[in-house]
Amino acid sequence: MSSAHLSVKDALYEAPGPKSRRAIRIATAISIVLIIALIYAIIRQFYITGQLSPKYWSFFTRWTTWRFLGAGLLGTFEAAMLSGVLALSAGFLIMLCRISTNKVLSMIGRAYIQFTRGVPTLLFIYFFFLAVPQFGLKLAAIWKIAIPVAISASGVVAEVLRNGVNAVPKGQREAALSLGMRERAVFYKVIFPQALRYVVPSLIAQLVIVVKDTTYAYIINFPDLMQNAKVLISNYDAMLSIYLVAAVIYILICYMLNKLAEHINNSTKVSVRG
Amino acid sequence: MSDTQSKQNTSSEAPVIELQHVDKYYGDLHVLKDINLSVKKGEVVVVIGPSGSGKSTLCRTINRLETIDSGCILIEGEKLPEEGAKLAELRSKVGMVFQSFNLFAHKTILDNVTMAPMNVLHKSKTEARSEAMELLSRVGVDSQASKLPSQLSGGQQQRVAIARALAMHPKAILFDEPTSALDPEMINEVLDVMTELASSGMTMVVVTHEMNFARRVADRVIFMDSGAIVEENTPEEFFTNPKNIRAQEFLKSIKTH
Amino acid sequence: MSMAELLSQYGDKYLLALLTTWKLTALAFLAAFVLGIIITVMRISPIKPLRFLGEFYVQIFRNIPGAALLILLVYALPYLKIVLPYFDCVLIATALIPAAFCSEYLMSGINMIDVGQIEAARALGFTFLQTVRLVIVPQALRSSVISLTSLLVATMLTTALASQVPLNPMDLTGIVAHINTHAVGGITAFIISAVLYLLTALIIGFAGNMIDKKVRIRR
Repeated sequence: MSSAHLSVKDALYEAPGPKSRRAIRIATAISIVLIIALIYAIIRQFYITGQLSPKYWSFFTRWTTWRFLGAGLLGTFEAAMLSGVLALSAGFLIMLCRISTNKVLSMIGRAYIQFTRGVPTLLFIYFFFLAVPQFGLKLAAIWKIAIPVAISASGVVAEVLRNGVNAVPKGQREAALSLGMRERAVFYKVIFPQALRYVVPSLIAQLVIVVKDTTYAYIINFPDLMQNAKVLISNYDAMLSIYLVAAVIYILICYMLNKLAEHINNSTKVSVRG
Repeated sequence: MSDTQSKQNTSSEAPVIELQHVDKYYGDLHVLKDINLSVKKGEVVVVIGPSGSGKSTLCRTINRLETIDSGCILIEGEKLPEEGAKLAELRSKVGMVFQSFNLFAHKTILDNVTMAPMNVLHKSKTEARSEAMELLSRVGVDSQASKLPSQLSGGQQQRVAIARALAMHPKAILFDEPTSALDPEMINEVLDVMTELASSGMTMVVVTHEMNFARRVADRVIFMDSGAIVEENTPEEFFTNPKNIRAQEFLKSIKTH
Repeated sequence: MSMAELLSQYGDKYLLALLTTWKLTALAFLAAFVLGIIITVMRISPIKPLRFLGEFYVQIFRNIPGAALLILLVYALPYLKIVLPYFDCVLIATALIPAAFCSEYLMSGINMIDVGQIEAARALGFTFLQTVRLVIVPQALRSSVISLTSLLVATMLTTALASQVPLNPMDLTGIVAHINTHAVGGITAFIISAVLYLLTALIIGFAGNMIDKKVRIRR
């Protein structure tokens, strides 16, 4: 987001004079007081409702608690990875359709992308949870969460990949063709590898959405982090503390993925969004 | 109100712009060194010098787009304050024309010119508009009034920027390399407007590389080198017989081009 | 069940569900937009603690899964003696998350403004607030139209969270789950909801493109 040039955020304000400096100091002091008051109010609410009692938190010092949450996290990773691979494969195929010179294929690609971008993930999940079994198709729990989450993501993945392909300079293709390479070889050996490099940050950002969507795994009883948190809750009768910790874990994972994407984006300096 | 004020201050013609012992640093870099400059009413001062000599910075300190570390800047004898409504008011009296035009991209040409008179001087829309149209025809872009800045050529945009500055009835106009971003064929249309402005008696400070313009139009030429004013001279003297050795080198390097 | 059977039996419920989804989307987007502006103002303010708080908000809510947030609001908050109606929980969850993204889009809209134009405004004698009102806000909004359009679609998709709590009337996802657990709705029940979602998304996208064409700033 930052550029070598002066950013708007910095240019918004002039160098403050003495009056503005004092006003900023006062506002800073007031805002610190307000933030402390807010934190105090939250902690107080926890305290007066008894939620700070050790019985809600002490089990977090136990190894077994974390092993169980860790197992859930592993489930989340498994589902997210499977879903990510599926989304990438489907997205790649859809992208091929979309950029095809064949009008019918291109239309199919376009329609698929529209469809997956306009329908909520939950509807896909319910489809695999409720409708698919009606056809006698029995899927393992992990597939029931991974497939719909992947479908939901695949449209955006296709668009991201397509934008990557479009971002590869035209001269690359012409140069490869002039070397006598076939169109197909040009695409797979020259264009696509470069496109992929452009879009890695956007793909990671999409993985964040996949990770978030896997939280719906509780619907089909797949043991992910959320589902295991639920089990812990029934063990310890500590709803607030456990859900809060689970939420923080999700936030940290997604935060780190986003930071990774940002880092790669800044180091390659070329990025393409979906 | 501003008229009576300026009358009070012109005890005997206070300079429109005055810089006294102005120093500025970027960290350790001393970018303006003890600058003293006084621009009288109706005077055209052209500032030249190699890139990085601080001439642009000098120009931008005059309406405090750049802050200074010590010294004093006076507009019509009034000290330029550090902040607040008074700073805005003094700024509105000094027009500025930028290298990159800086027209408001979301507004039409006409609105670009009327925006400040309406919002800063609180003129009525009709008054601001009729005056804006006059100014636009003065700089020769009245036929473009309803277009957006992006639809105009660079030369046209810069002429609009000059009209925008004029609409505030400024006591002086600062030009910060007004032709440096223009394609060669558009430079003259902007310089022509500036020449006309100078002959109409406008007080001007012009940072430029256009030596012919400086020679023809300037009342005084200021040559800057590494943050300091090293020569101040009439254009005739400066271009035929520069005293400072860096100025001599600079003029020679330009001629060889 | 055939389409005709389904519609004769559940047609009015689908209509109500569509309206519920629309209502949630509109309310949540409005709230997210207002909140997003407030957070953006905090993030660009010269007051460091507010900048920090704004950044903190964005990092929390762009990274929390919607389901986790909704569960916290519905099941955990009552332990703090804060009990909210189901509808409000859904509305809050579907507003808090898009607000973070809204702020991100507005920030990049602001970052697209040419710094020179801010200087030009200053040089003309505009005060800080005039510069914000006349130059920064209009330009940031104009260059955010497309991202705000996709935010509106994303908000609509997020309202499917409503299916996770008992709501009356149900939303477009909730009704499908309802039909399929009470009767054998088959694919048809899904198709109806999907089409309604899709049409809404297409209309939003179309309107967004129209507005963008009108107001886009060419540079």
